[in-house]
Amino acid sequence: MFNLPPPDILLQLSLNGALGGAMYGVAAVGLSLIFGTMRLIFLAQGAMIILAAYFVRTLFYGLGIDPFLSLLIVVPVGLGVGWLMYQGLFRKAAAEEDRNVSLLIAVGLMFLVQNLMTVIWGGNTAGVVTSYTASGIELLGVRTSFTRSMGFLIALAGTGLVMLFLRKTMVGKAVRAASEDMDAATLMGISPHRVNAIAFAIGISLAGAAGVAVATTFPFNPFAGFIFSLKALVALALGGIGNVTGALAGGILLGLIEAYVQYFISGGWTNAIAYGVFLLVLMFKPEGLFTRPYKKA
Amino acid sequence: MSRTLQCIAIVVVAALALLPFVPGAVDAYYFSFLFFIFLYAIMAQSWNLVAGYGGQISLGSHAFFGLGAYTTAILWTGNYLWGSLYDKHPSIYYFDPVTMLLGGIVASLAAVIVGLPLLSKLHGDYFALGTLGFGEIVKVLFVNGGDFTGSAFGIVAPAGMFDTLRPHYWVALGLMVATALAIRALMRSRYGLALIAVRDDEMAASANGIDTLKVKVAAFAGSAFIAGVAGSLYTYYIFHVGPDSVFDLDWMLLPLMMTVVGGTGTLLGPILGALVMYAVFDLARIVVPDYHPVISGLTIILAMLFLPKGLMRSFAGRARTG
Amino acid sequence: MANRLLEVSDLQVAYGDVGALWGVSLHVDPGTIVAIVGANGAGKTTLLRTVSGLLKPKSGDIRLAGQSLVGKAPQEIASMGIAHVPEGRGLFRQMTVLENLELGAFQPKARPRTKELLDKAYALFPRLKERIHQKAGSLSGGEQQMLAIARATMSEPSLLILDEPSLGLSPLVVQQMFSLIQTLHGQGVTILLVEQNIHQALKVADYAFVLKTGSLAMRGTGADLIADPEIQKAYMGVLE
Repeated sequence: MFNLPPPDILLQLSLNGALGGAMYGVAAVGLSLIFGTMRLIFLAQGAMIILAAYFVRTLFYGLGIDPFLSLLIVVPVGLGVGWLMYQGLFRKAAAEEDRNVSLLIAVGLMFLVQNLMTVIWGGNTAGVVTSYTASGIELLGVRTSFTRSMGFLIALAGTGLVMLFLRKTMVGKAVRAASEDMDAATLMGISPHRVNAIAFAIGISLAGAAGVAVATTFPFNPFAGFIFSLKALVALALGGIGNVTGALAGGILLGLIEAYVQYFISGGWTNAIAYGVFLLVLMFKPEGLFTRPYKKA
Repeated sequence: MSRTLQCIAIVVVAALALLPFVPGAVDAYYFSFLFFIFLYAIMAQSWNLVAGYGGQISLGSHAFFGLGAYTTAILWTGNYLWGSLYDKHPSIYYFDPVTMLLGGIVASLAAVIVGLPLLSKLHGDYFALGTLGFGEIVKVLFVNGGDFTGSAFGIVAPAGMFDTLRPHYWVALGLMVATALAIRALMRSRYGLALIAVRDDEMAASANGIDTLKVKVAAFAGSAFIAGVAGSLYTYYIFHVGPDSVFDLDWMLLPLMMTVVGGTGTLLGPILGALVMYAVFDLARIVVPDYHPVISGLTIILAMLFLPKGLMRSFAGRARTG
Repeated sequence: MANRLLEVSDLQVAYGDVGALWGVSLHVDPGTIVAIVGANGAGKTTLLRTVSGLLKPKSGDIRLAGQSLVGKAPQEIASMGIAHVPEGRGLFRQMTVLENLELGAFQPKARPRTKELLDKAYALFPRLKERIHQKAGSLSGGEQQMLAIARATMSEPSLLILDEPSLGLSPLVVQQMFSLIQTLHGQGVTILLVEQNIHQALKVADYAFVLKTGSLAMRGTGADLIADPEIQKAYMGVLE
């Protein structure tokens, strides 16, 4: 049996876990949107995040643009790329409603992006080291990394903006309607292709934002994306598929689980336990941990 | 399958079986090229059984493949059980049918154990996600298996050399043909009809007295059995069984892709898909060595954009599904 | 002919094993209530889903005010002026009553007038106004059906399609529903109605078509069909 560690270590663990988990969360928000309208498990999301991280790195070392400032470039570019990606790759498959085909296109895209990155930047681990990479800040009486805290802020802000868009704009409401019942949404005059493309655009721009967070905090390599996709899926399931704030919360929860398992049990078991929780949630609380099951009227 | 197609299949199989006897016709490279096509065709049939015929998209084939591979490696080294069989009969150990069968049985037992809860609780995408999670868990279990599984490094078989790839080639060809024949017989039986009924309309099937859970779990276990045997076969080729090699997601993704390219829910689709896709990959590996994985990704995307129904249905007309 | 709002000619739809259509022709004149009645599985819902574009016909033609709808996507057909309240209501249950209504006016021609249209809907459905911030899924069955109809009227459709509006409602609420349909009719809305509650449907309908296993069995004014002994024997005897 293990002893409970002193409270300051516990706090440190929780803080680190939550900060790291927020990145899974922001990836999960993107997956949630795309899954919502298209019922597609977009396995290439992690690869897109790593692609964005390399892009940020290139902007930094090539043009001297600060990684956090590059959000202003990465996020709009992500919107455009996502839109084009839907129109070029997924529109036809979505029209035929064959979800195997969309899933495989996503898999193909993942292979393509991973290997393109290897060809362009090599297969070695890369990172972004700035003047503030090693600096820390005091949070809740615990010292923590500045870049991780910024990553957390980016995740919060990204999710917040998506929430505002979904709740306050008519187009956002159309996306939510389509996620709930595509047939009924089309009867309102909502075009499936339009909402799918919007979901993709937002999903990929969130991948861009997550890429900034990853680039500044972790060393990464072209193949690191897949595990990120898996973690985002776990976060998605914990939060309830189709629930945007739940996805962020699910990511944070996953980060906490990982931090605790790593400390109390062993680093080698984190993945098994994370996926174990994932399976249990899928089976026993498929609507996610943060929603009450809906009463049928 | 039409009569002509049957005749063609018999001729092709016979020609392939006799190929090694033609002096100078095949060198080691082509043996291994064909060996991998057969291996992938078996894996593709495995996925096709549960997903194509059964309608349950599984993303856990690599777990069953790895279970078969590890079972074989552990029995081969045998330290923990009875002392290595190989030590007593080094010459006869290769492709020991009992070991290969056990590889399949261990995989299918695991499939029953996880399939019962997963298939009774999860549907559609949730089942797919569940199997993906299961695959990752199995991998971690083997990484943490200590000396029994060789941990992160895995197990190296006590053999290390073979003079010829001919036995591998024949066994793989035989298993591929056997798998196809078994699935053909299965799909013509009452069970096959039930499986199709469950895929097409689960509610109606259940209303007609079909135990849908049993049917689905059986398909999942059958698929796992085939994958386990394929994993066993691979062990005899690769000798070193490690978590990163035999639990690699490629063992799930590539067969899935081959099946879809060839034609899901058709008997010849998985074989055709394995042949075409592996040939494309291998060609890319030779012609543009630095870019070949890029070409693989591109091929999948192009195939899905322009041949979404698969080769069998696009060129051979509407193939029989039953 | 020129006066027909909706003209369905020789429509054939293949749709799984149940509910296929074998050459159905019917029409709806502007300002009328037209009912399609028939037993379960006669193809009524299939017909409606084909008109609004959710299903693709094998052959035949569907015209709205002379324009063909065949091959058009549901969202295009919706913006041409058809509002379809599907079987099971098709509400966005996780969204609020207000959001559902707003989405009813999603089309470009209605959206700028959302406020005005909301006021009109509240006047017709005062019960909904009290519940605008409630989730649609939390309403009672009758309220949900009211919301589904109110949402459909938000686009000021030239043709309102109702699929089984009385399904699962208590007799009292069914009465309210049919009087609401008559109110809408009074305001000049053209309605195409599918009902299993044949007696009620024929009472409000100006004209009705009887579907039997995918083909048209009878047609006539609502009053004529109610009086028809064959109809009474085949359908209403079961209900009374």
